[in-house]
Amino acid sequence: MASLSTTSLSFKASSIKSTRISQVLRKPSSFQSISFGRFQSSKSLRLQISCAAKPETVQKVSDIVKEQLALSADTALTAESKFSALGADSLDTVEIVMALEEKFNISVEEADAQNITTIQEAADLIEDLVQKKPAA
Amino acid sequence: MEEEKKFVGGWGKGNKMGERRPEDICWKERWVDVGSAVRLLDLSAMSQMQRSFSIDLPSLRLPSRRETHLWYILPDEVKSTSLLKRYSQLLSQTEKDRVDQMRGDELKKNALLARTLVRTTIARYQTNEAVDPRSLMFKKNMYGKPELDWQNCNVQPLHFNISHTDSLIACGVTVHVPVGIDVEDKERKIKHDVLTFAKRFYSADEVNCLATILDPEAQRKEFIKLWTLKEAYVKALGKGFSAAPFNTFTIQSNPGGYNLCKTSEITANPLEETKKCNGGWKFALLELADSHYAAVCTEDDQADEGAPMRVIVRKTIPFVEDQLILKEYFCN
Repeated sequence: MASLSTTSLSFKASSIKSTRISQVLRKPSSFQSISFGRFQSSKSLRLQISCAAKPETVQKVSDIVKEQLALSADTALTAESKFSALGADSLDTVEIVMALEEKFNISVEEADAQNITTIQEAADLIEDLVQKKPAA
Repeated sequence: MEEEKKFVGGWGKGNKMGERRPEDICWKERWVDVGSAVRLLDLSAMSQMQRSFSIDLPSLRLPSRRETHLWYILPDEVKSTSLLKRYSQLLSQTEKDRVDQMRGDELKKNALLARTLVRTTIARYQTNEAVDPRSLMFKKNMYGKPELDWQNCNVQPLHFNISHTDSLIACGVTVHVPVGIDVEDKERKIKHDVLTFAKRFYSADEVNCLATILDPEAQRKEFIKLWTLKEAYVKALGKGFSAAPFNTFTIQSNPGGYNLCKTSEITANPLEETKKCNGGWKFALLELADSHYAAVCTEDDQADEGAPMRVIVRKTIPFVEDQLILKEYFCN
């Protein structure tokens, strides 16, 4: 389903992203719609043209989630894993966000914090905030 | 026969309930004492299907205005696989899919019990005729809060809200006014330092209040109580968390009860920050099953402003038994 293609592509996208984007820019007519963020693009090319998070960020988020929710070490988490499906309630989500803020030295707006529902979303938000941080 | 849970004799204290013999497979005739009303089910006038739901899901008197009915299930008390199978037959396909998405048997079971609690409880308040819990339809308001789609099914316009933890699932029901509830395990450990957490998310007044509590355990407990009260408010408000960030309102603890104070920054000068503590919302904080804090929040009906909230708490196992736990008034 959507999740499978998204997962596999989001790991690859970061390395080949720049090539694909330049292709997109050269041939805008070949796409029915260009999608951004997390939505499915046109059928001819199922690619997320977005700044998907690096695999190591996803891994760090997974580790924090596992710790907060006291999941066993061998619980298989993917980028698409939903916090609610793992048994996280709102208090857990807030604690996860706090742990992510500490780990990555970022500050998350409360509205953004409450909108995070999957590991991928958390990782994307983190990278977005890290990128926006003023240079030290 | 079926591996039904063994009926533990006796019902809640103070509840006048007719004796039920454990060997009864279904309730043939029941005296139901709900509040002060005593009602005998008239089975002869009902159809076969209605009768089956009437027997297994005895109907309930609606909450009066200012009343919240709080129902809860303890998942550990529901072990019968045949009963759980019966529950799963009540769910819509979407609900079943969501249950299947949960990772692990315990989470799946709890998700099933949550939907069962909502459907069976709401079905019981339909006073006109017995309603099949499967027929209830739900929708979300424009902010994502689940609501009963009462216009599309012929049912009473009830408000409800659900909350769950690993070991307790609760559902609050009201008429006339929106309701929000939140439950938390009393022993829940916070991974972060409580004051650090509070400074990040709670209001300044709440942080100051927590800082005065020196015993770490007492401070943690107060933190949890505040969390449930704040969550209950946001859920009653029904506009999502961004409509009422936790640091924009204070739950004030008074000798009589709890009060909502909204921080309004009229000027840029923080010293002139004013707080409106005139309510508009009622709160109740209870302990359930000796293990959980439960907060209930309802909107104040203008006609009822200042009047206490009455809460009636019942523990239930749908299709099996109810137990009246308490009836209490909560002031502000």
